[in-house]
Amino acid sequence: MIALEGTTARHEPPKGKRTGFDMEGLVGYILLIGVLLSMVLIAIGVVYYWLTTGRLGIVYSISGMNLFGFVLAEIRQMIAGAFRPRLFVNLGIVVLMLTPYIRVFASMLYFAFVEHNLKYTLFTAFVFSVLSYSLFLR
Amino acid sequence: MSFELLFSVSIAAGFVGAMSGMGGGVVLIPVLTLLGMDIKHAIAISIVSVIATSSGSASAYVRDHITNLKVGMFLEMFTIVGALVGAAITVVSAQGPLFLIFGFVLLGALAALFLQRHTGWTPVENQDKFSKWLQLEGKYYDQATGQTIEYRGVRAYFGGPLMFGAGLIAGLLGIGAGALKVLIHDLVMRLPPKVSTTTSNLIIGVTALAGASVYLAAGLINPGLAAPVILGVLIGAFIATRLLVRLTNQKVRQFFLVVLAILGVEMILRGIGVIS
Repeated sequence: MIALEGTTARHEPPKGKRTGFDMEGLVGYILLIGVLLSMVLIAIGVVYYWLTTGRLGIVYSISGMNLFGFVLAEIRQMIAGAFRPRLFVNLGIVVLMLTPYIRVFASMLYFAFVEHNLKYTLFTAFVFSVLSYSLFLR
Repeated sequence: MSFELLFSVSIAAGFVGAMSGMGGGVVLIPVLTLLGMDIKHAIAISIVSVIATSSGSASAYVRDHITNLKVGMFLEMFTIVGALVGAAITVVSAQGPLFLIFGFVLLGALAALFLQRHTGWTPVENQDKFSKWLQLEGKYYDQATGQTIEYRGVRAYFGGPLMFGAGLIAGLLGIGAGALKVLIHDLVMRLPPKVSTTTSNLIIGVTALAGASVYLAAGLINPGLAAPVILGVLIGAFIATRLLVRLTNQKVRQFFLVVLAILGVEMILRGIGVIS
């Protein structure tokens, strides 16, 4: 008996269509790229700070804000050309927090448009809405 | 607290966390508080690093087609709500109870780790209607035995609400609460060990994000302190997973479990004010 590694572990839903779309692969790469990008951005921020000040520890804090407010503030700084070390560190944290969020969003699209699975589209939409709400918290 | 100190402590925490199978947060938070950090800030920073470690390891498992995305999505509905509630409680809570709860959860997780080691997995024949309706089933290829394992999840009506509790603890204490999630997957939903650990990894990332959003809104996440911690924990966990492949010495693992037990007792003593 030969077990095929390449075939997806996913089972066939009643109305699902075999598309050969590798959802697990996509989710895996979203997570991998998100974490790596975040690490690189944080490392750039830390090294940049060290190069310009000779010190390693960036000490600053942010007042309470929601993630989207945080993203907007960072984008404004980028447009203004204020590429300070803390911009990179902040971007790294933003990317890290957006990684699972994007993963959920991708899963929602997948259940809706590839698997045509209404039940799981609604489940994922619930998770996505709660996360969106919490990320808008202030 | 200097960058160098935070960075090295975080590497150690990520390393011990991955070696013991308990996750970085469980080691990180007691150590950060020992170094004088306020427990709420330690929890807030830890939960951000949990997003990093869980997403990092989940990325590999998901691509191996072992993680069950449906089980994950279904249970995430419960864990994220739990995490929001838990984090909201921490924000308004006093410090003492947090130490106490942390200590007990840490010791409980250690006990769970011993429990689950003795349970063998057998496939379930009869799936209840609700779990069937949820399509909680799957199969994966086991590289160790060369077999394709088919499985069905059961008792989702229990698993879901229990996962709310796991999410609550994760949000409350800034940890992944992976041991608890795996226990629910194993004992309640009867998922095979590989599926339960990898799926719990996936759930942890989203759950931690829900908790982190509350801490961000409360202004408890200090990026300057978070930077060395996130980098350190991830590097430590990475080194440990590389080592684990070659190192199967149970003694080493047991040593780290003893370290964790000591940290748990220390947190309880601080919680009731015996030491400060």
